[in-house]
Amino acid sequence: MSIKIIRPGVQTTLQDSGRFGHRSIGVGSGGAMDIFAMKAANYLCGNEHNQAVMEINFPAPEILFLQDGMISLTGAAFSAMINETAVPVWRTILVKKDTVLKFTQPVSGAKLYLAVKGGWQAKQWLNSYSTHLKIGVGGYCGRALKKDDVIDFPLNRFSFEANRILPWHIAQHELNKIYEPQNIIRCIKGTEYNWLDDTSQHFEQNIFTISNQSDRMGYRLNSSRLALQHPMELISSAVDAGTVQLLPDGNVIILMADHQTTGGYPRIASVIKADLPKLAQLNPGKTICFTKVSIKEAEDALISMEETLTGIKNACQLNLKSI
Amino acid sequence: MVDIVPAYHSLAVFYDVVKIKRRYQIEVTAYDFVRLFTEDLIGQTNTTIVTKRDVITIPVYYNGADLDNVAQQHQLSTAEVIAIHTSSSYRVFMIGFLPGFAYMGKVDERIATPRHAAPRTQVQPGTVGIAGFQTGIYPLQSPGGWQLLGRTPLQIFNVQKIKPCLLQAGDTVQFNAISKTDFDKLNEY
Repeated sequence: MSIKIIRPGVQTTLQDSGRFGHRSIGVGSGGAMDIFAMKAANYLCGNEHNQAVMEINFPAPEILFLQDGMISLTGAAFSAMINETAVPVWRTILVKKDTVLKFTQPVSGAKLYLAVKGGWQAKQWLNSYSTHLKIGVGGYCGRALKKDDVIDFPLNRFSFEANRILPWHIAQHELNKIYEPQNIIRCIKGTEYNWLDDTSQHFEQNIFTISNQSDRMGYRLNSSRLALQHPMELISSAVDAGTVQLLPDGNVIILMADHQTTGGYPRIASVIKADLPKLAQLNPGKTICFTKVSIKEAEDALISMEETLTGIKNACQLNLKSI
Repeated sequence: MVDIVPAYHSLAVFYDVVKIKRRYQIEVTAYDFVRLFTEDLIGQTNTTIVTKRDVITIPVYYNGADLDNVAQQHQLSTAEVIAIHTSSSYRVFMIGFLPGFAYMGKVDERIATPRHAAPRTQVQPGTVGIAGFQTGIYPLQSPGGWQLLGRTPLQIFNVQKIKPCLLQAGDTVQFNAISKTDFDKLNEY
């Protein structure tokens, strides 16, 4: 029993929190671009944090439910409709068999997560459900979902009469802690930060525009060009999601979830992990500014995000017991 | 520790900040904790101990698109280029760029050739190439700028296997020239 894709979206993939321990063979972590929204989606329908969720871009898919299910939507707002009823994001929804879930227009954000109670049944590769598009493995057949794909999920253990939006939601002030202020991205200095010339070291005074050449591998940014003090070549070294690399033309790229494991461009900064969800929700054309923080502030922000998630998890468990 | 990336002259350690802070109840940052811990470990390591592993032989059918070009640039025959490429063994310095892509060296300067200014849009998996003093094998179909010498019939990166990657940093690799017939016989693609 399952759902069926009636109309495919532009790139709908199954993701979890990523695969770990394989960077030394060139396999990066991958996983959901917005880890916060991915985990929250799982908690809202009573899952463990690491079940497979659908990561949806706009244009989004149209999905037919072939069985009853408890679902949740988090992250981007794409004007979701179940049959003809609008449903909000960051909520848990009971969906009857034969219901159609569709998304009519993008309102805010870039990545929407759709979780189902029990998790989408997907194939693990190297202990992760995440779809590795380049190798074509993991998730659903190692690729983005297409028309007529059928994805299973476990049968519900309780029954309900009709489609229903459950009465609890994630408070806006909790979400603001993660996603606001939208265009300020915190970073720490990168390993090659000192290679930048004096002016370029003040890159937080620049405004950067996310270019159209941005995807799950990385965001290319446009701004006034940055420069090194002297031309220097970097010997290939490790990079990570959030690594800000300076390209030879003076533009920068921020590596995202599907980045390569090593790179040869100077690493001038690293976006802090707690701000990657925010960045994941920004579409091409949006502008950002960087602000430098200490490693301590970066760690505190990550711990704070984890505490927010634990709060959401506990609240969801309590609420789900009541139904 | 979540992950590591050994590279030419560096080792990156990935760690879980939240787990470290909770488990060790530390006042210092997880970064400082891991840095001191790692430096301590490095201090204790006897660098003269090297685990000896077998030499991995990789058969190659030398028919690459750049074989003639490399030969011409160095005023060698293609047979000489093949002889030089197979005459020494190579060390795997690191794996990166693509899943399973091994950067190996050091290539004899008589055949060392810089990569193409404009990369090819599609290189077949198993293709063996050189770039400057490095040699490597494309594990997957991908764009690539290396000078292509030939192709191995072996699957360098196999997702079906529990250990998908044939090579790892520190391995020694020896290329072995084979005929078209042998390539077809051994072809795993």
